[in-house]
Amino acid sequence: MNGAETRDNIDERDISVPAFAERSTDYYTRVFENVQRGQSRPWDLNLWALLIPWFWAAQRGVWLVFWVALAIDVLGLVCLMQLVKFGPLLDAALQDPDNNTVLIERYSRWISNFGWTGAVVLLGGRLWLGSRANHWYYAQYNRWRISDAVNSGVLLKRLVMGILIMAIVAPITLYRATELRLDQRACFNQIRAGETVERLLPEYGAASVGELIDAFQSLVADAEARLAALDALGELTAEQKSERNAIRKIIRDNSRRMDTAISYDTISFKDRFDCAVIDDFPTLARFTPPPEVRYRRVPDEEAIAAGNLGATKVIVQESAPVEGRRVNTFTYTAEGIDTSINYLRARFAGFFDATTNVLRQSLIRVEVAFMQTPWPVVAFLFIVLSWAYTNPATTIFVASSLAFLAVFELWQIAMQTMALVVVATAICVFVGLPVGIWMAKNKYFRWFTEPVLDVMQTIPSLSYLVPAVAFFGISQPPAVLATVIFAIPPMVKLTALGILQVPESTKEAALAFGASDRQLLRKVELPMAIPSIMAGLNQTIMLALSMATISAFIGAAGLGALVTESLGDAQAGKGLLAGVAIALVAMMIDRILRGIRASFSRI
Amino acid sequence: MSDAVVELEGVWKVFGERAQEAMAAIRAEGLGKPEVLERFQAVVGVKDASFSVSKGEIFCLMGLSGSGKSTLVRHINRLIEPSAGTIRILGEDIGAMKSEQLRATRADKIGMVFQNMALLPHRSVRDNIGFALELRGMDGYHRAQAADRALETVSLHGYGDRLPSELSGGMQQRVGLARALAADPEILLMDEPFSALDPLIRRNLQDEFLNLSQTVKKTTVFITHDLDEAIRMGDRIGIMKDGEIVQIGTAEDIVTAPADDYVADFVAGISRLKLVSAAKIMVPPEKFSALNGPLSDAAHPEAAPTDDLDTLVELSTGTDLPVLIKDAGTLVGVVNKDTLLHGLQGSSEG
Repeated sequence: MNGAETRDNIDERDISVPAFAERSTDYYTRVFENVQRGQSRPWDLNLWALLIPWFWAAQRGVWLVFWVALAIDVLGLVCLMQLVKFGPLLDAALQDPDNNTVLIERYSRWISNFGWTGAVVLLGGRLWLGSRANHWYYAQYNRWRISDAVNSGVLLKRLVMGILIMAIVAPITLYRATELRLDQRACFNQIRAGETVERLLPEYGAASVGELIDAFQSLVADAEARLAALDALGELTAEQKSERNAIRKIIRDNSRRMDTAISYDTISFKDRFDCAVIDDFPTLARFTPPPEVRYRRVPDEEAIAAGNLGATKVIVQESAPVEGRRVNTFTYTAEGIDTSINYLRARFAGFFDATTNVLRQSLIRVEVAFMQTPWPVVAFLFIVLSWAYTNPATTIFVASSLAFLAVFELWQIAMQTMALVVVATAICVFVGLPVGIWMAKNKYFRWFTEPVLDVMQTIPSLSYLVPAVAFFGISQPPAVLATVIFAIPPMVKLTALGILQVPESTKEAALAFGASDRQLLRKVELPMAIPSIMAGLNQTIMLALSMATISAFIGAAGLGALVTESLGDAQAGKGLLAGVAIALVAMMIDRILRGIRASFSRI
Repeated sequence: MSDAVVELEGVWKVFGERAQEAMAAIRAEGLGKPEVLERFQAVVGVKDASFSVSKGEIFCLMGLSGSGKSTLVRHINRLIEPSAGTIRILGEDIGAMKSEQLRATRADKIGMVFQNMALLPHRSVRDNIGFALELRGMDGYHRAQAADRALETVSLHGYGDRLPSELSGGMQQRVGLARALAADPEILLMDEPFSALDPLIRRNLQDEFLNLSQTVKKTTVFITHDLDEAIRMGDRIGIMKDGEIVQIGTAEDIVTAPADDYVADFVAGISRLKLVSAAKIMVPPEKFSALNGPLSDAAHPEAAPTDDLDTLVELSTGTDLPVLIKDAGTLVGVVNKDTLLHGLQGSSEG
């Protein structure tokens, strides 16, 4: 009684194939049996799938066949459409065969190539599809036997959906294939003409474009008559000369406006359609940009006069927008962001300057520690560390890397890079660890932080530099900040991961013995997360090194600056040597840290 | 019971986002499990559980996986909050405790052993055992001493400086037991402590634990899915099914008088030799005489009512005479071979 559940209608093949296929059941019972016995031959074609595959596939819900058929047909037909496209061009060229030998040869070649390809794709593709269709349908039948959710039977709803998909995809694609490449300028001119006419219509009190053209025509005719009258006078006074110039300007301006109006009037529906759907996404809206505003912090004279030396205030400088300038959504938004960054920079100058200062001071101190420690001491420390935590082979590698830096006289520069990495990593740890812990503990914070971290990791590292410069200027401190933003995600993520990975049962045991939340974190979760945290630290250091190179673009000193320099001067050798030095520094740190990590996880 | 150490009264646990609503509906309308699941998407984990464990007693909770026994035992140290009902530890309502008091109770009064050991992999065996003491702020010196004493009780002397991963499963579970004993708690909660071990080691540890509890006299709640283990270990046994305790009693009660078919199914395969006493199967002398004629004057083997079937089998083997069951010299019943065989089989006669 409690045996396997029985499912209606599918226990027997005889019953289940008709239940699945619904129509042409005898045919599919036979076909499926052949496929299952391995007796299906390549020339056993499914005629419906061969002739009208989209309808067959859609109503039976074999969407794989549907999409493959669509792809084959569109590809084949697009090739054939080239005949429609180049046919008229060939005819035109044939009108004058002597001057067009090159064109005639080229068009004929294209037409025959595309024609043959199209025919082969269509015919071959359909034949192949016809022979595969039953196999795919059989595979679907097998999946249906496992799960009821798989499409089965014949449904009108799916047929309608298939036709809808075809109606959206096919015609516009085929139409595109018959058209030559669009001139981008033409679409832009359409928009410009539209905007100009829109502005001119109320100005000249015209109700339609026709009236507008008439108005310009009469204005021009009028002015031309006056000009003719003046010209008839022969000798002109200075006053009359200037009047003639004025009239000429009127003629020029109005003719140009008339041309614009006429060109707007002659835009056909086809032109609009082409610009809207064929190539690029059309420009939906253009805006008049807001007035350009600059915020600037200047000494506050009043307060200084009142005795408060060093007082400053934010002033606003507004410049008028360029007459008639219209921008698209992208430019409008980008300029808006510029203005707000500019405002924040001026408003919170104290904060940004203080941050810059703290960063600079700590950087200087670490730099001093690295650069003013005699090189034998630093080298010795590196070798001792690797000797203590790694194997002899790695120690030899570390020693040779140090020798490389020394021989090529890159020692001090490498130490500068290290200082930058150390400061950035320290900040990453101090910020990343608590954030990671919080993330592990709070579900909602995790939901919020995870996408932010993903964005931080995926935004191209160069684009960090721009806002860093905007807020903090050009020099080492913004380079540190950009490096921190780039390098902190693994620290945060792996801390959270390490804590989340602690088995529920272990935490439960700790609680059962009376641990408080703090004790749970300090005595159970953090110690057990240490391998993961160390992995995060390692990644953070590697990322910091790579970013330290890139941030040379905004004035970070060190090996990166050498690379940037050689990029500017196209000195490949210099760049390569500096690059190798960076790689060696990275690998040294990585190997030593790995050794330390391994010694941690052994306990 | 005045000397009850652990007392549960009408404990319910409903899991789900709408547990409170579901609980209220259960109270008001007496809904069953399927209705609760359908109406509130809530699962009844424990259904109206009540029992008490007296001092020094080993109480076994037996049930198949998913019967709610592990959930129920976690209510005792409030790792899980009940949806309804009260739990008293040494007379104190654990549900009413503030968090500081609760942690003190967990650390000082209750030791827990887990099926998967749940030792801290980064700490030595000694530091694992001293964990509860460390949480209470005991200094390292006394902690190490207590840990070594606990190691000695579980016969793992000298393993204090190993890491848990260096020990076999059986040894790790001894460490788990030592950790639970280190703070010398009143109560031991054992959540399927020996289930993950292979049969030989399991048997070994069961014996050792029984010996140990003879000496340390801890009040113990012992979870198992193995009826044999429950019978070996438990002074009393509670049988759980679908979150409900269906029967509580001694091994003998459960084997001789199963409360329902479910329990009867369970005990069907259990050997009754050591479980059932003569009192349960003996026939009163008058009835015996009426059926079989008067007893002869020959030297009948004699036994007490508390003697188990094993003893009776032993007595009956050398002779054809029925065994006389005498309580303080007076004849209270008779067991002949038919009665004895029926008793062994489990079918009651007449």
